[in-house]
Amino acid sequence: MLALFKAMASVPPNAALLEVSELSYAYDGRPAVCGISFDIRAGEIFGFLGPNGAGKTTTILCIAGLLGAWTGGIRMNGGDFAPFRRAADRARLGVVPQELALYEELTGRENLELFGRLYGLAGTALGAAVTRALALSGLEERAADLVKKYSGGMKRRLNLALGDLHRPGLLLLDEPTVGVDPQSRNHIFEALRGLRAEGRTILYTTHYMEEAQKLCDRVAVIHEGRIIGSGTAAELAQQVESPGATLEDVFLKLTGRKLRDE
Amino acid sequence: MIGFLRSAWLLARKDLRMFFRDRTGMLLGFLLPVALVTVFGFVMKSIMGADGDEAMPRVRLWVADLDGSEESRGLVAALRVASTVSLQPEAEQEGLEPESLEEAQEWVAEGKNNAHHVLVIPQGYGADVAAGSVPRLEIARDPGRPMESRLVSIGVMQAFMQQTEGRLWPALMGRSMEGAGMDPASAQTLVGFMESARQLMAGVFAAADEPAGADAGGSPRAAPDLTDFTAWMSPATFVDVQRGDRPSTLTLQLAQVVAGMTVMMLMFGLMAVASTLIEEREKGTLRRLFLAPLERESILFSKFLLAAVIGAMQLVVLLTYGELVFRVNMFRDPVTLAILMLSTVAAVTSFGMLVASWARTQKQAEGLSTLLILVMSALGGAWFPVQYFEGSLPAVARVAMRCTLTHWSMSGFQGMLWYERPWTDSATLAALGVLWSFALAAGAMSWMLFRRRHLSR
Repeated sequence: MLALFKAMASVPPNAALLEVSELSYAYDGRPAVCGISFDIRAGEIFGFLGPNGAGKTTTILCIAGLLGAWTGGIRMNGGDFAPFRRAADRARLGVVPQELALYEELTGRENLELFGRLYGLAGTALGAAVTRALALSGLEERAADLVKKYSGGMKRRLNLALGDLHRPGLLLLDEPTVGVDPQSRNHIFEALRGLRAEGRTILYTTHYMEEAQKLCDRVAVIHEGRIIGSGTAAELAQQVESPGATLEDVFLKLTGRKLRDE
Repeated sequence: MIGFLRSAWLLARKDLRMFFRDRTGMLLGFLLPVALVTVFGFVMKSIMGADGDEAMPRVRLWVADLDGSEESRGLVAALRVASTVSLQPEAEQEGLEPESLEEAQEWVAEGKNNAHHVLVIPQGYGADVAAGSVPRLEIARDPGRPMESRLVSIGVMQAFMQQTEGRLWPALMGRSMEGAGMDPASAQTLVGFMESARQLMAGVFAAADEPAGADAGGSPRAAPDLTDFTAWMSPATFVDVQRGDRPSTLTLQLAQVVAGMTVMMLMFGLMAVASTLIEEREKGTLRRLFLAPLERESILFSKFLLAAVIGAMQLVVLLTYGELVFRVNMFRDPVTLAILMLSTVAAVTSFGMLVASWARTQKQAEGLSTLLILVMSALGGAWFPVQYFEGSLPAVARVAMRCTLTHWSMSGFQGMLWYERPWTDSATLAALGVLWSFALAAGAMSWMLFRRRHLSR
């Protein structure tokens, strides 16, 4: 695990950590992601924006190894990357799923210890990881409480801490602030900025434009399974020929104003 | 492999921790089955009684012919074809039998050759029959088997009457009356009426043998129940030998009820445990586990481990409770008990995992498992001893019966509790073999379903 982390840390800034090329996936013949390509540079927060049903979560599931029947290519540090088949590749990722995937009958600490052990941590390394994760989530005082007694915001923070527990090379966050109060949202933003300051790499999906504007170094906009724009916020504004436009303006211009029912 | 087992154990330990942390749920998990076993146990005991009249398989009856006369050999031959007993030793095993009443009593006391009823034909039997007097037959028996004693009496009575061609009927009747407390003079007076009584009885038997509805009114007429009378008339007297290791209150029905309810409740309990797989899927924690660097099949195996641990605990609680309340001598053969428990838990757990792997929602799993458990319990004999009516069931029902894991588990438990078969007995081995086959087949199918549903997208 340590060797992996060192390998990740040795990736020079701005070099592509993850490269996705021509990625496609279909659910029972219904295309969800159609030949998308993008790369994520080491040390950046890469925003993945799109309306509901655009293909954001499917993309994350393909990268995280929860879906295996995709076509195209995914490379990590220039090498083959197959987390669906290889447990070792899964250890290189941290995933914060959209749903609150926590064991409510366990305490916050027990949740962290369980997943720490599943990721191969033990002894003092496990203790240090749990302490750090509790600090990251601001749950030190409530670590011994059952998760079912936590508020929604606390669960979201623990959800984030679980994803980053083993200090993965790439952290995938799938709409991590859905349904949280402003204080918890702010805490999560601060935690993510702290991770970026440490040189960590993050893929962040959201449909809240202000979040992307505040956090992300670069973004890609996905719509109906295709990437329809990518770059920094300023570059995107130029792409839609609206210099000075906010990311939300760009997003609406690219994806249209029609309501999404799925 | 070590990593696989380590992950599975970590996850099973997590589930166990959650199981025991939920005190209300845990108490319900144990108390509800105990309550149901109690209710069903007492209700069925009350319905079936300690000496019910329900159909029985042939009762194993050992015989010791100390007379060796033509008449005694005739009685043995008649017993071989009697409808209610299975005579031991078999014809080809002659020589393997007790040589005195005392030895017969020892056989019953020690359970030697699984003997619980041993008929002793005394020396002088042939001479008594030839002289027209009723001989004294004695049966050493385990008094904890009243229903089987009755069937043995009927079998001996049938054989005796067949062998003596009914000639000793009046004398037998007289002796029975004396035995019932009538003074000898009155009994002798009544003997004068015996011939007419015999004719009356013959008439009753003939009427009972007529097809239903054959009487003048055309309405079916129930045959009189003559089994009590026949047992009372039996030429044999019982010599009770209390088995040191069997409670005097144990009956076949009680063994049936305790084993049946225990197996059924175990199935319900383990279904709930297996459904934690679906709960994990619905709550999203299964997906989180899939993201971890572990062999994904270890998640399924962890549920096997969890169910096996909880199932074994439930069995111990339920069987101990059955022992305390119903005195079924559950722990007489702990090795056989442990093997049967392990085999039943393995089969039921695999079955639960199969349902949990197949079902897409908790509701689906609950509905399907409840239906299957109730059908299997009914068909497999957990509610009523259907195996005793097996002969009268249609072929489809007999096959369906044998397709249930309940049937084989019940066979094993009943064999151990009632017939005192050790695990090495061929019938018990057959039941164990089927249970393990069931466990492996259901386990393999749940494994494939799990892989197809979660690991092939």
